[in-house]
Amino acid sequence: MRSHRQNVGTPAVSQEVYSEDPADFFYMKVNVPCQSACPALTNVPAYIRALFEDDPDGSYEINRSANILPGVLGRICSRPCEDQCRHGEPELGEPVGICHLKRVAADRRSRKESAPAKLPYSGKRVAVVGAGPAGLAASHDLATVGFEVTLFDAFPEPGGMLTYGIPAFRLPRSMLREEIERILDLGIILKAGVTIGKDIPMERLLSEYDAVLATLGCYGSRRVGVPGEDLPGVISGLEFMMDVSRGRPPRLGKKSLVLGAGFTAFDCARSALRLGTDEASICIRRTEEDFKVTKDEVFQAKLEGVKILPLLVSQRILGDTAVEGVEFVRTRPGAPGPDGRRSFEPIEGSEFVIPADTVLVAVGQESLSLEAPGERDSKGLPVVDRETFRGTVPGLYFAGDYVTGPGTVIGAIAAGRAAAERIARDLTGNIFRRKSIRMREASITDRNRTWDYIHRNEMPTVNPPESRLVHYETEVETGLRPDQAAEESKRCYLCYLHYEIDMTRCIYCRYCIDSAPRDCIKLVDEVLLNEAGAVAGFKETTVWRDVNAVVIDNSRCIRCGECVRVCPVDCISVTRVELVERMGEEAAR
Amino acid sequence: MKEEHYVVVGNGPAGNEAATTLRDKAPSARITLIGREHRMCYRPKLLPAYLSGTIEEEGLYALPLEHYQEKDIKLRLGQRVVGLIPDRKELVLDHKEIVPFTGLILAVGGTPRIPENLHIFRELMFTLKTVSDAKRWMKHLREVEHVLMIGGDLTSFAVTQALLDMGKRVAFVLNEESFRPLRSSPEIYEEAAHVLKARGVEVIEGRRVRGMSRLGQDSIEVMVEDKRISTQMVGAFFGLVPDVGFLVRSGLHIESGVLVDETLHTGSEGIYAAGDCAQVYHPALRDYWVSIGHDNAANLGRIAAQNLLGEQIEVRVPAESIFQVDGIKVNTSWWKEF
Repeated sequence: MRSHRQNVGTPAVSQEVYSEDPADFFYMKVNVPCQSACPALTNVPAYIRALFEDDPDGSYEINRSANILPGVLGRICSRPCEDQCRHGEPELGEPVGICHLKRVAADRRSRKESAPAKLPYSGKRVAVVGAGPAGLAASHDLATVGFEVTLFDAFPEPGGMLTYGIPAFRLPRSMLREEIERILDLGIILKAGVTIGKDIPMERLLSEYDAVLATLGCYGSRRVGVPGEDLPGVISGLEFMMDVSRGRPPRLGKKSLVLGAGFTAFDCARSALRLGTDEASICIRRTEEDFKVTKDEVFQAKLEGVKILPLLVSQRILGDTAVEGVEFVRTRPGAPGPDGRRSFEPIEGSEFVIPADTVLVAVGQESLSLEAPGERDSKGLPVVDRETFRGTVPGLYFAGDYVTGPGTVIGAIAAGRAAAERIARDLTGNIFRRKSIRMREASITDRNRTWDYIHRNEMPTVNPPESRLVHYETEVETGLRPDQAAEESKRCYLCYLHYEIDMTRCIYCRYCIDSAPRDCIKLVDEVLLNEAGAVAGFKETTVWRDVNAVVIDNSRCIRCGECVRVCPVDCISVTRVELVERMGEEAAR
Repeated sequence: MKEEHYVVVGNGPAGNEAATTLRDKAPSARITLIGREHRMCYRPKLLPAYLSGTIEEEGLYALPLEHYQEKDIKLRLGQRVVGLIPDRKELVLDHKEIVPFTGLILAVGGTPRIPENLHIFRELMFTLKTVSDAKRWMKHLREVEHVLMIGGDLTSFAVTQALLDMGKRVAFVLNEESFRPLRSSPEIYEEAAHVLKARGVEVIEGRRVRGMSRLGQDSIEVMVEDKRISTQMVGAFFGLVPDVGFLVRSGLHIESGVLVDETLHTGSEGIYAAGDCAQVYHPALRDYWVSIGHDNAANLGRIAAQNLLGEQIEVRVPAESIFQVDGIKVNTSWWKEF
């Protein structure tokens, strides 16, 4: 797709073309922000378009081919895509409900889908240790390209944090099991309830399998590090959530304080209210704005009665024989740190006490050490090359949160998939999956300009909120109704469409500029290219004699199609540009 | 030299005081005041009186247009600010215009608060913050005889009186929320219940609103605990929350308002906040507070303007005049006027 960056006059592609030019990957990164923001590179415009065309099966498969667990992610994904959605730019409204639409595809699919394509058996055997999102994704990818996979997990059920960390009111277990089953159906041998390093030594796995991938997650709870942390009534948030998931919740007091600002903190507070505590408050050092959780999550938690106590930090936990309260100090924004983010520093002399009889500590999780050969870092964890996922022992690989520290489910899935491809290449010397940019001729869509003004359809929930608290497993979000889903799918601009003016035919009439809804079409003196040869910017001009081209800035374009409609000489072309993954022979080509 | 352009967002007492102070202290600067409503600066406190017809609309307005002409302040009404880019010193307006500034004072005030559990019934409830709100009330009141007041802040008592003056029947769900921003106490509660009953208001005590549904054009059923109450109109009075949603992605720190230091500085160069939207730490309270009321707002507006021009004045409010509401300390003085 050199046309859009070097020779503005080249006509659009007339057939399907694949490119692996870094410039084209750069184009995708800038111009299709949702897909680029997804760690698994889910083709968001394509699956939303499929849903719009009333094809939930197709939409689900587009999802599944990238993120493996669409039904799960359609509920609990951290949605980095929505933060980057062009519809959410300041003057354009709210981002598209990308995540909620993913769930619509998962809920409405016919379930008649055929098994994923599988390459013939390669004769290689891989052990995957840890059946969380990273391990499941890696197992899936290895199994589909012809490897025999044995999946070990220390817990009785697969799913890792999905099963033992995320509460059932956010992620129903029947749906989770169904998607895990579909992965295991690829012929993966599941050995649950087996701890590697204890029940079976890692050395034995390394000798019995061609490769071992450890995706062990982060099951260590960080401590706050204040006096009183060992008092009865102080509970690790992670252990609390795991005990609840195993069906043996601990007894809680009437007034619970949760220390922490992540998803676990919210899960703890919302679970505590369902398990009999009268008052649950989340105590955070910064402000609500800094929450890593979604706005919906914050709203739902508040609706259920969770209180947010911002701008404070715990100093010590008080009590003689059990927790009686927590002493905090106030914080205020300080100077920006090296990451540009402002730190929040304690205000001297601002001590105060909040009474409580339960304190749930959810200030972070970390990887636990593992009995395995190989070099260790300063924390006692295996040394891992993050590019290749290789440890220091041949055949032993690591991926997911265990390597990176606690992250998102979608991040773990992406890491598991990347590690699987690396292992497959290392074991066979072949390339199994390859990312390319696919370009196809397209026309302007049937999107109506008025669709840009449709408000975001919010997720319906069980109400009144008290009724959710009765049964722990009542799923709070009930899914977009069909009419809502249809409306929401209209909102996507379809940023995978690339608009381009053929300058050899342009007559500089500027009708396109007059019809443009925002400053997306520019009169430029010069197109600025980066090292890869991709468009990195434009030198605009208002002096007519300096105008060398009229260009469409696809990073500003909302794909309304007005320019194409008004062009008197039909010199604006549309190309469908997608980042896709090719498997097997196609990839090897 | 680059021309100084000071922009004030918010056409209330804090914003107007800030703009006037800027003009007095910086005679040659360009000053722009941006207001979201299409109206001149008015006194929200008079809205209940306007509602009942005691005063005319003209009586609401605080400053004539000549004031802005005289002070050479560019007044831009009906313009909604939707974004702020502090590094570039630019505001983004709803209609996509970019407004560059050299100094900015945010004085956007508050917006009616609706508790999370009543959000889904928003369409069924009337709030009273703006002249447009008051006009909605007046139009609807022509058709109805009975009004149910829920939540309850101090404005609601003034509105109740206005409704009684108009000969309407009023029911009032009185609970611990009914004294915002004052903390409820048995004495206040008793006294309020007694006064309301004496004036003929049906008092529904100590109960929580669970839901409501529209049965017909002028018929709404409200579920208060297990009791169903029929009414024709519902007034919701849960106080105000600072209207700072548009700043969320700006990089400024937002909590219940814009977090500022004792000089009302936001931490971003040249950007200050004043009035109901500024949240300041108070050493004696060991907590943050938000101010409410005309005089406090004007005072903060003046200080923000002076500090923007280089002074270092700290806001000082006596701790006794600050009350706690829902974990937010609120500086009030206006309630004493009731």
